[in-house]
Formats: sequence, structure tokens, C-alpha cells
Amino acid sequence: MNTNRRLVHRLAERLGAPVPATQFGDDATFGPMPETAVPDRWVATTCGYCSVGCGMLVGVRGDDAVAVRGDPDHPVNRGHLCPKGLSVHLTLRAEGRLRSPLMREGVTGRQVPATWDAALGLVARRFTNLIAEYGPDSVGIISTGQLVTEEFYALGKLARLGLGVEHYDGNTTLCMASAVSGYKATFGSDGPPGCYEDFEVADVIVLWGANVADNHPLLMPRILGNRAATVVVVDPRVTKTAMIADEHLAVRPRGDVALLNGVLRVIIEDDLVDDDYVRDHAEGFAELRAQVLAIPLDEAAAESGIAVNEIRALARLIGHSSAVVLAWTMGVNHSAQGTRTVELLNTLAAVTGNIGKPGASPFSITGQCNAMGTRETGFTASMPGYRAYDDPAARTELAALWGVDESRIPTARGRAYPDIIDAVITEEIRGLWIIGTNPVVSYPNRERLEDAFDRLDILVVQDGFETPTTACAHVVLPAAIWGEKDGTFTNSERRVSRVRKVVEPIAGAKSDFDIFLGLAEHLGVRDELFPGWSTPGDAFDEWRRVSSGRLCDYSGITYERIDAAAGVQWPCPDDGLVPLGGTPRLYTDASFASGRARLAVVDAEPMSEPTRPEYPFILNTGRTVEHWHTRTKTGRIGVLDALAPEAWVDMNPADAHELGLRTGDAERVSSRRGVVDRLSVSVTETIRSGELFVPFHFDERCANRLTNNEFDPISREPNYKQCAVQVERSGLGRIG
Amino acid sequence: MTVAPITDDLSKHHGPTPTLLPLEPGEQYRFVFDASVCVGCHSCEVACAEQNQLPPEVRWRRVGEVEGGSFPNTRRFNISMACNHCLEPACLIGCPTEAYVKLSNGIVDHHAEDCIGCGYCTWNCPYSVPVFWPERNVVTKCDLCKPRLEQGLTSACVDACPTHAIGIEKVDIAAWRADHSQGDGLGLPPASLSLSTTRIVMPPNVPGDLAGASHEQVELEDPHWPLVALTLLTQLAVGTTLATALAQTAGGIASGNAALVAFLAGAMALVASLGHLGRPSHAWKALRNLRRSWLSREVALFGAYTGAAALHAVVSLAVPGLAPWAGFGAGLVGVFGIYASGRLYLVPARPAWDTPLTLVQFFVTATALGPLVAMGVLPDRELGQGIGVVLLTVALGSLVLALLALAANALRLASQPTRESWGSLSLLRHHCRWERRARVGAGVIPVMLLACALTTSGDATRALAGAAFVFAGVGESVGRYRFYVTVVPRSVPGRFASNGRA
Repeated sequence: MNTNRRLVHRLAERLGAPVPATQFGDDATFGPMPETAVPDRWVATTCGYCSVGCGMLVGVRGDDAVAVRGDPDHPVNRGHLCPKGLSVHLTLRAEGRLRSPLMREGVTGRQVPATWDAALGLVARRFTNLIAEYGPDSVGIISTGQLVTEEFYALGKLARLGLGVEHYDGNTTLCMASAVSGYKATFGSDGPPGCYEDFEVADVIVLWGANVADNHPLLMPRILGNRAATVVVVDPRVTKTAMIADEHLAVRPRGDVALLNGVLRVIIEDDLVDDDYVRDHAEGFAELRAQVLAIPLDEAAAESGIAVNEIRALARLIGHSSAVVLAWTMGVNHSAQGTRTVELLNTLAAVTGNIGKPGASPFSITGQCNAMGTRETGFTASMPGYRAYDDPAARTELAALWGVDESRIPTARGRAYPDIIDAVITEEIRGLWIIGTNPVVSYPNRERLEDAFDRLDILVVQDGFETPTTACAHVVLPAAIWGEKDGTFTNSERRVSRVRKVVEPIAGAKSDFDIFLGLAEHLGVRDELFPGWSTPGDAFDEWRRVSSGRLCDYSGITYERIDAAAGVQWPCPDDGLVPLGGTPRLYTDASFASGRARLAVVDAEPMSEPTRPEYPFILNTGRTVEHWHTRTKTGRIGVLDALAPEAWVDMNPADAHELGLRTGDAERVSSRRGVVDRLSVSVTETIRSGELFVPFHFDERCANRLTNNEFDPISREPNYKQCAVQVERSGLGRIG
Repeated sequence: MTVAPITDDLSKHHGPTPTLLPLEPGEQYRFVFDASVCVGCHSCEVACAEQNQLPPEVRWRRVGEVEGGSFPNTRRFNISMACNHCLEPACLIGCPTEAYVKLSNGIVDHHAEDCIGCGYCTWNCPYSVPVFWPERNVVTKCDLCKPRLEQGLTSACVDACPTHAIGIEKVDIAAWRADHSQGDGLGLPPASLSLSTTRIVMPPNVPGDLAGASHEQVELEDPHWPLVALTLLTQLAVGTTLATALAQTAGGIASGNAALVAFLAGAMALVASLGHLGRPSHAWKALRNLRRSWLSREVALFGAYTGAAALHAVVSLAVPGLAPWAGFGAGLVGVFGIYASGRLYLVPARPAWDTPLTLVQFFVTATALGPLVAMGVLPDRELGQGIGVVLLTVALGSLVLALLALAANALRLASQPTRESWGSLSLLRHHCRWERRARVGAGVIPVMLLACALTTSGDATRALAGAAFVFAGVGESVGRYRFYVTVVPRSVPGRFASNGRA
């Protein structure tokens, strides 16, 4: 297509024809647009990348998505989008879409096209046989945070009740599991208490391990817009977010617990505790007090890298303010001590009374567009509706709601994601179904994961695009992607928004919803699990009933209400008492599932892999604004790829000087687990000497060849942020 | 005054896109950029690309990064820049086809139908704003979203900026001419070069040691092979014409062969130059801007020279008595041509070229190669004496001068503390190492050969001069290639992740 157009242009040029310039047409809403991109209609939907949940309008011309604009009336993003959102319509017809089921041929080992019937039949048969032969713990499922809620709800039932597998988890364990575990530990339930408006009305905004500018860009207008607030960023790097903050505390890697204990000590010493709140709504204060007073401040300062006077200043800033939002993301979660750090953040919010009021919340800004949806409806860390596996009443309730025997309801969570991979290595798990995620690039210690995949009897991968993971599969199921299917997403502030089919699924692909129903058909459980279901709306109706009375109560939410309010925040019981837009904040009456907020006592644990002479640098990994996760989509969009085409390594000038490196040199970075070659060095004062940063998006120079398969013992979230590495002069010249 | 205000209360600013205020006499529209609220999200770049359907390699708006201070007190700023719609647009002034127009509302507008894709504006702009669009064979640039402006809407980038870091506002032209200090800062080229109108709102407490994040990243520019051919061949031709005329004057030879060689070289140069253009069939349009553009003048003068060289060749055969006159006439036009050709490289946006040494280099190429071509047609009796010695001496002196000019330019670059100078020098030293050896080798060897040739006569002289010509030709070719690839243009600060490109 492109080549042809170019040829035509060349010919026209030689013949002296005028150069075709972009011609502009007129759109009634948005004014002049390129003529070929003036849509016939605009479809309102929600962005499918991150969890901010921006409302957008996708312009459709004929059968194609040709344009996208931020929805000017949407309460989340108020008409604006980040660069990924502004080009998201281009993902729909990007190169590399899967257009037919693939099955690995026995003789050649090649993946060859197959019919849906053959592929789903094989998957059903192989999984059923494995379970019959080796038991329900011989098959695992790893899904994602990118499907619609209706699909997650269907998948949960299919996995645990239909297939009857024990081990089902999502890639959400790689990003916000620690927030979930932390919320459960403190408040007895998952569920972020705050909302985005808190950023606008807080006196103090603390962004702890949260590089919002790169990762949740559309929250920045609210943070910048609150000129009255003091913005504090706690981050080992001078991130884009730190650059616009009033205060930046360059905490040492894994210094968070020490810093939090120091802050808590000063708050208690200086009598800045909200005594009423603690007396009425918290427990464990005496233990907390004893713990933090036992840690001298200079010890906290030494461990955290933050000077005593700065610790005092932060504590006093928080203690003297009436509304503090403590927001965090992966800097906290991606840690072997992630859950405990979240508990301490919750504890800090509780002892200062910063819960359940405007501008005051311990707020996990979650990762994927619908990580929240799978947390609410999935059958992973909890049963649907945040029900606990070990709660007999909850199991009875679910069995009754579904009309199944109570013995079918699981009594325990299966293995979490990393434990599924470990069980594949020990060959306890022989069949694995991966849905909408790309572990080959995203899982820590890539070589070990690839070894695990080699051991599987059957690997089924369901995705919209060819990825390094689909390349490993025995069976590939081509899925429709965002923009090709209907449903709902829940964003970080518990806002349930509509996601709409903008164009038909690419020929050969099916929506994940239809794939789940199709597999249920092959397993003979469709009528039992999904009676009369044909559209995601059917799943939503059932989910409303199932969630009724739970914290994440959807019973008052309908698709029509979502449209009328531009998103509804749960809890939203069907009692007519909740405002149209739902409930902005949880715990306004401090009614926690745990009764009282459980204050945490936490000892700082050192890194498991500190530097040593062979590996003298601590490697930190993270993101850049142009890309999403493993670049399955964004790497295929020309404008985004051109903005950040390759991975790099940030290095302090002192280290660069010592190694004799200059910006642009292509060097080798290695850890005990693997090697990444030709990483372009970026010499910058945004990182501390002795530390390095590599973005993790890139398959070609994959940061997860270096990272450590070490996990939080509670949440099972990987410790992506610290491992020991070496930089070698590869003599391979320079990039660029 | 401000149309899309940099408001103190961003959260309240989420209504429809602000409409533009009408211009009063003496005003124009311009961009304003507030570095203190830009979070580096790059939405402006993507919105621009979408609105104008730009391919990935073409960007009209770019976000760079500048950094200063030291960890943890590092200060880093993003800087989003598009066209600055200058009061004295270097692109417009240099454009040979008058494809650029400064509209009454201030937009520096580019008309693709008039553009021949010569890319001279891309050399002239101190901000490297105009960019060649390969698929369309023309240069393109930001037009401040003229179609949107005409409807009272702001540009796509302004509309897309979540933190309102970019705006469009009116500016009093006379006042800005008198004081454009707010156009400077954050590693930008000085606004005075072209009277850039973009107003930069600086964050407080900007450190003094601010440098672009891509400061150390410099990459080789396009070698422009057709221009290597154009410049070398025209210089060889003009030198040959003059040397021939000299020989003809001295009565040494009356041969038309050397004049013919000169004409052919000139004609080949013109043909080669077409290869440089995006739209060669429109090449004639390059003559439109004789009033201002050195490129237009170069085309006109080399065209005239080639005609005169043809005449010289004919006269040399038909009316040998008039040959010297025809030769010096053609040579004179050619000298002006080389001057115009050299002058077009003297642009502030490309500091490595912006020196009289460029003119020296171009002229000495002519006076080194031309006499050696003429030597080839001298009768044996003239070798080793008379005009033969004169030609050899001129060639020898020119080659020595060429090496001195190179060294002088290196010293000049070394004495300037700018990224562009440092970068050019670094490319000359590191990236073109083999070419450097070839250049120096092929520069020194012919000098030695010619020194020997001066002490010989007859066939030995001819052989030595011939060998010297081959080496000198190689040396000059490699040198010209290095001239093009090692220039570091002025630009807005780049960005590491994009391999240093902004």
C-alpha cells in the first residue's frame, strides 16, 4: 500500500503533477481535520491503555477508525489524552494482528492456520485430559488487566467452575498485587478509597514511587492545577514527575520502609497523631508506637538516604495538613516488601486521619485499564465481589446465586502467577493458557521463563497480536482487541466506564468473550455457567446481582446510567440513595471490612541482591510515556515508535566518567541471570551514582533478562526495581 | 492579550478550546511555551502528526529535554517547539523558489506546489524546523494549523496539551523586534538570528549549566552526493577554464580539448544537481529568487557559466585567436558562480560551514584541479617550463592552501564552545576516522608528487601531474563528503530516547 502510493507519487512527480498535500475537511465537532480522517460518526468509549480511564471519542469513517479525540465532557480527562491515547485508533489495523487460530504441526513444529472449531476443540480436549490424568492442579491460566469486566467475570467462572482448574491468576500480580494485599491487610478488603478529585483539593500530595507524568499523564493536570498544594515526590530518580514537584526526596532503593518508619516516628514524637481517628477507627497503635520509637531517626536517615531534617519536614508537612493524599504506584508495589510498604502508607494515612474525606486518601493509582475489573470480578486473589475463599458464607452465597452445588466453589486461592511458573518448571503444571499478556518480555528473569515454557505439554496463547509469547505457543487463539468489542472498564478511582465496539473485529479474530463462551460450549458447560448469554451485557446483568451488597456493589449501575453520568463510581447499590455518578470515596464513615484499620508494624528488610564487586550497580526498571508494557501495540505505531525506538540505560556522570563512557555509547549490561547487549548509555544527573535505569518495554533489549525472580511473600509481586548488575564496555561503538 | 492563557488555575480550564482574538494592525499570532508546566508527555507531537497526517520520520513539533544541576538537585525541563513563525524567517529569505510566504497574520507559510525539494530552508533555519517529506518530495513545516486558525480555533498541539503549556497569542511586532529576549533560553538558538517569535516562559531558578539531554549525541548528516558532484565538478570546470585560458594566452596551447572538458564537467554538474532535488522537473523554479537567495544565484551563474564554457570550447576550435577572451569571460562567470555556491553555505544555522574558509576551500579546489586538467593537454615542450611551471605551481600552492584551510577550520571549531562546533569536530575526529586518513593522505601525496613534477620535464612531468590529479581528486572528493556529513546544525535541544533527535 505504502510502496504503491509512493510509486504513484514518484510517477506523478515526474509528469509534473502537483504534489498532493493534506487536504482538510470539516468536522462539525472538532473543526478542520484531514479530509480522509473526517469521521462519519464519533463513538464514545474509554481508553484501553492505563487505569486513568480517559474518556475518548473515536471517529469512524466507513469501516475504519480514522481519528480519536479526548472526550471534552468526560470528568476524568476533560478532553485531553496522552500520546498513546491520541494514536490508539491506529492499533486497530496495525501490522502483526493475528487473523486465524494457529496450531503447531507435529512434524515441522510450525504454527499453521486452523479453524476455530479445531483449535477450541483441541484446547478443551487437552486441558480436560490433563486434569483427568494429573488432577486440577496440572493446568494453569494467566490472564491480564486488559479485558472488559464482563469478560473477566466470564473467564473466572469458566476457569474455576467450568474447566475446574486450581491455578488462575492475572498479570495484575506483576503490577498491583501488593496494593491489593496491602488494602486487605489494613482495611480487610481491596478497594482504593480515594478519587482523582482528591488531587485537586488536597493540601499535600505525596507521590510515593509514582512517576505520574510518564505513567498516568492525565492525572498531571489535576496535580499541577492544585497550585495551593505542596507536591512531594518520593523516588530514587529525578523523574519527570519529580521535576515539577515542590519537594523531591531521592530515597535510596528499598529505603521506603525506613523512611515511612522515620516519618511515623516524628508524627508520634511531635504529637501530630489524629488521636480521635486512631481511638475510634484503628487498632495496633501501641505496637506501632513502640516499633517506630525504637528506631533512631539517624538510622532511618541512613537507610533511606533522606536526611533527618528532611524526614522531619515531611512528617510535619503531613501532620500539620488537613488533607493529604498519599498516592503510590510501582515504586512501592514492585518490591519484595511491597505489601508491607502499602500497609505502612495506609497506616500513615490512618494515624493522621487522612482517609475518607476530600483530598485525603491512601490511594493506589493502579496500572492497566481494567486491572480493577479483574480484581472485582475475577477468581484470582479473591472470589467475585471481593469475597474471601475461606469465608464459608460467601461460598454458600455464590453457590446459591449461580445455582450450583457448593462443592463446586473453590475453598482456596490457587497458585499466584510466579508460583504457576515455578510449578511449570517442576512440571506439576503441564498445561498453560495465557490470555492477553506477554510474559516473555514482562516476566522477571526471562531465560528462566523461556525454560519453563519449553517444559509445557501444551501452551495456549490468546492475544490480538503476534508477540514473542505467541511464538512459543502450541495453540494461538486470535482475539479481538480494544475497539472491537463491548463492555466496561473500572479505573483507579472505581469509576465504571463503557468500552465500545468501534469497528468489527479483524477478520478471523473473535472477542475474548466469544472465545470463553465457545470454549465453554466445547466443554459442555455453557448452558450451566452462562445460561442464555450471548452478549457482554448478559454477563454484566449477572455480575450486578453477584456484586450486590458487596463493597464493589454494581447493582445500581446500568449501561444507561454509565452513559448518563460519564462513568459511575462503585459502590453503587440499587437503593436510589447514591448520586448519579456513584460514590466518590470509600470509608467516609470509617466502616472497614476489618472493623478497625489495622496499623502495621514493619521492619525494613535489605535488598536480597545488594551490589558486590562483580555487579556494582543497582538496576531500576520502569516505563516511558510513549510506550505501553511490552510494545505489542505502541511499538507498531510509527509516531510512538519513532519517539522512543530503543531501550537505553540512564547512568550518573560520575559512573560514566569512571567507566570512560559517553552518552550514546552502546554497552553491555549483565546480571547473574542474563545479558543485554548494545544498550545505549544516557549520561544524566537524574540518577544517583551507583544506580542505573532501563525501561522495560523492549523485547530486543529486554530489561527482564537482568531482573531477579524474587517476589513479595504476601502478594507474590516481583521485585522489579532492584537487582545487581554490571556494565561492560562492549566496544560495539555508538548508537545513532 | 493572551489567547490561550497560561492560566494559574489549570483545573478550571477545561471548557471548549479558546477562540482567537482578532489581530490589530502591527500584530501577528505566535506560539507561547511555558516550560514550568510542560510534563513531557509528547501529546502535542502526536496530535500534530495526526492533524497533518505526518509520516513517523516527519515531525513538525518536537519535544526536547534540557538538564542542569547535579543529583539529587537536578533540574530538567522539557521544551516543545514547532515553527517559530519568525519576523525574519531564514527559510523564506534563502528559498530559491519563493515557496515561503509570510502571511499578514504572521504565519510563515510554505507552498508545496512551488517547492522543488532542494532542502536549502532546512539548512537555513536555526531551529531545524523545515523537514523534507520523502513521500511528497518536498519540504514541509508547521503552518500554525492555518485551517484551524481560519476558523478561530487554536492549533492541534495547543488543543492537545493537557497542562496548557503551549498557547497561541498575539504579539506586537515592533515591540518584539525591539526586545525579543523572551524568545531565548533553555538551550535554544538565539532568537536574534531570525527574530523567532515564540515566547518562552521560563521556570524559576533555572541553573546556569543547562545543556540539552542530547548534548553529546551528534550524528552524521546526509552526504548529499549530488551536491558533492555539483560543487566538485563546477570547481574543477571553472579552474580548468581559467587554466586553459591562461595557457591559451601564453600561447602554450590552442587546444579546444581542455575547454571541452570544462564544458562537460559543468554540464555534468548541472545534471548531477538535479539528483539533489525532490522535484527535478520543476528545477527551473530555482531561478525565482535572484533578489535574495544565493542558491538562485548559484543556479543562474553556473547555468550561464556552462553556456559560456560551451562557447569557449567552440571558439577554441573555430577562432583560436579569440579563445583566451572567451575563456576568461567564461572563467569570470564561473568565479562568481563558485562565490555564490560558497556563499550559500555561509549560514548561521550551520556553524561548521559559516566561515570564509568555506569560500577558500571551494576556490582552492578549482585552482588545484583545473591546472592539472589543463596540464593534460599541454604540448610536451611546455612541460617543465613556462606555462607548465606556472600551472604546476598554482596547483601545488592550492593543495597546500586546501590543507591549511582545513586545519584553520578545525582550529576555529575548537575555539568555539558551542555544541555545534564541538560536535562537528568530534565527528571529524571520531566518526570519519578512515575518511580523515584518506583526506590527509590524498592531500599530502599530490603535494609531494607536484613538488617532484616541478623538477622534471616531459613524460615524467605529465605522469606525475596525472598521478597528482588522481590523488587530489580523491582527496577533494573525500573532503567534500566530510564537509557535508560532519556539519552539526543548530536546532532545538534534542532528546535522548529519540537517539538525540529532537
